[in-house]
Amino acid sequence: MWLHKELFAMFERMTKPFYFSFLFLFCTTVSFASIDTIDVNVGISVFKTMPIGVVPFVEDGNNFASLQEKTHDVIERDFNLSGRFTAVPSSKFDLVKFSRERAKFYVTGRLDKVAEGRVKLSCYLYASQTKDLVFGESYVVAMKDVRRTIHHFVDKVIKQLWGELGVASTQLAWVSKMDNVKQVVIADYDGFNRRQLTFDTSISMMPVWSLGNADIIFVSFRNGKSQLFQKNLSTGKEKRLFPQHAQTFSPAVNPVTGEILYAGIVDGKSDLYLGDPNTNKIQKISYSKSSQVSPAWSPYASEILFSSDRGGSPQIYVMGKDGSDVRRVTFMGRYNERASWSPEGDRIVYTSMDGGKMNVYTCAIDGSDITQLTSNAGNNEHPTWSPDGMLIAFSSDRTGSHQIYIMRKDGSNVTRITNGGDNTSPTWSWYGKNEDNTLKKEGK
Amino acid sequence: MMKKMQLVLVTALVTVALLACAKKDEPVVNPTVKEAPATTKNMSSADSAAAAAERERLESERLAAERLEAERAKVEAMINKIMSDEVYFDFDRSELTASAKELLTQVGDILLKEPRFTITVAGHTDARGTEDYNMTLGSKRSEKVKAFLVAYGVSSNRMETVSYGKENPKVEGQSEEAFAQNRRANFKVNIKK
Repeated sequence: MWLHKELFAMFERMTKPFYFSFLFLFCTTVSFASIDTIDVNVGISVFKTMPIGVVPFVEDGNNFASLQEKTHDVIERDFNLSGRFTAVPSSKFDLVKFSRERAKFYVTGRLDKVAEGRVKLSCYLYASQTKDLVFGESYVVAMKDVRRTIHHFVDKVIKQLWGELGVASTQLAWVSKMDNVKQVVIADYDGFNRRQLTFDTSISMMPVWSLGNADIIFVSFRNGKSQLFQKNLSTGKEKRLFPQHAQTFSPAVNPVTGEILYAGIVDGKSDLYLGDPNTNKIQKISYSKSSQVSPAWSPYASEILFSSDRGGSPQIYVMGKDGSDVRRVTFMGRYNERASWSPEGDRIVYTSMDGGKMNVYTCAIDGSDITQLTSNAGNNEHPTWSPDGMLIAFSSDRTGSHQIYIMRKDGSNVTRITNGGDNTSPTWSWYGKNEDNTLKKEGK
Repeated sequence: MMKKMQLVLVTALVTVALLACAKKDEPVVNPTVKEAPATTKNMSSADSAAAAAERERLESERLAAERLEAERAKVEAMINKIMSDEVYFDFDRSELTASAKELLTQVGDILLKEPRFTITVAGHTDARGTEDYNMTLGSKRSEKVKAFLVAYGVSSNRMETVSYGKENPKVEGQSEEAFAQNRRANFKVNIKK
């Protein structure tokens, strides 16, 4: 009897957890099936930045009022935008402050006037504690090139301290409304030095950079329909791309070959095509009953991200570069669009719409680990990676008008880089040439 | 109903235009034409008289053609005004609503009656969503309109489709009313020259 009781209790102990674990298993399967319950992280900062001291440059007593901004202000802005540093500004070298803020290095320099409109710019990176010179360069440049030179120096500092290429010398292209017509503009990555590229009376939009940054490929409605054009930045020459299709848009430049993936409309359905801008030869990449749009390349051009409404609403898919092996990436929400692949290759950034509001999300390539980068601030859309993968530029109407913003890849440190007007659809340039030979170095 | 009456009016107008086309060789009264012989007469040669007559004939032909073109443009503008009604869609949808179909049958009637008309169907979306996806949505809408008209009996080579995506809103703003007004397909009528 006792044995029986004991056995029964044992049996009960054994089955109960089993029963519960079965229930648990069942629950998880259910929650997996109902895709609305996927966990989303919202704007958690996961990056540690490196504090770095910034000391104002010594000026030789001449008036440098024609500089738009103080040199150390440009450096400070570059550091804070870089996603790598937090600037620790100090009016002079201050070891106590630098130690407290853990700024193990600091930058400073001097400005000397060498001729009318020309200046010698000496920039130095020092170790705070020992005051050892880590790295220094001086340049003789025109006044108008001071800003560009500072960007160049900041990238050198990043290379020195991070062993990686920075993006301070890169550029952005975007769409800006001028007299109520959308035009393509380009500017330095921080929004300065802006130049208008198109001057049409019809819409120009969707600019992307050709490999090497020599041309902008964009969509123009000058012939009454959306059509891709290529404009050379130095000659200003334009040519129409892929006239085989009456309507073309959504260009994406292959990061290895420079070929262009685009969406072409045939019989009201858009499909993806791969075209060579030099020969205008095209080939069809996607075959589906539904529409395909918004292609993007993986960093080494082996795979292609795109959006398709084959499931009834736009979702993100990935496939091989020949159109094979299509997998769906996004499952949460009804509207996930315009994905682009991080330069490091581990994540994608995309725009998702929920309740009529658009926001920027990232996720792993398999669709897991979804992180919402923007929230409760108007519409946020059209994310584009910086070439080093540290930053994401996007457009937002959080202030009432569309403006361009830059944030770190974790959604922190959101900085607006345009003022006024209506600015949308930013795309980041590629890296420039490793060395900017146009900047004359002094000495060795 | 309104559309039907307008259609009758348009048909009458087009008939007038076509009639004008028919009476090509009737003399055209125009002061500049009258003056032309006076200047050529000074040359007082049989050759130049013939040349003057030829010039006069060409001139009057040109003027007639000009008048016809003006007439054509006028009718075209009027037709475009009558056809300014737009087909509206539901959010993220390209299916035709009942009222859209009602309007399209009237557009179809006009097109069937007047084979000289060709149309461009432009598809538009509201401001929500990405530029890229809205381009495909706009093209789906214009294609749905075209398909309906083809099924109605209008030859497909008389219709061209174009998508503007969200780039060409009729009403600016972020209200539901503005969105509803912008989710549309509209028509541009061209009369063959």
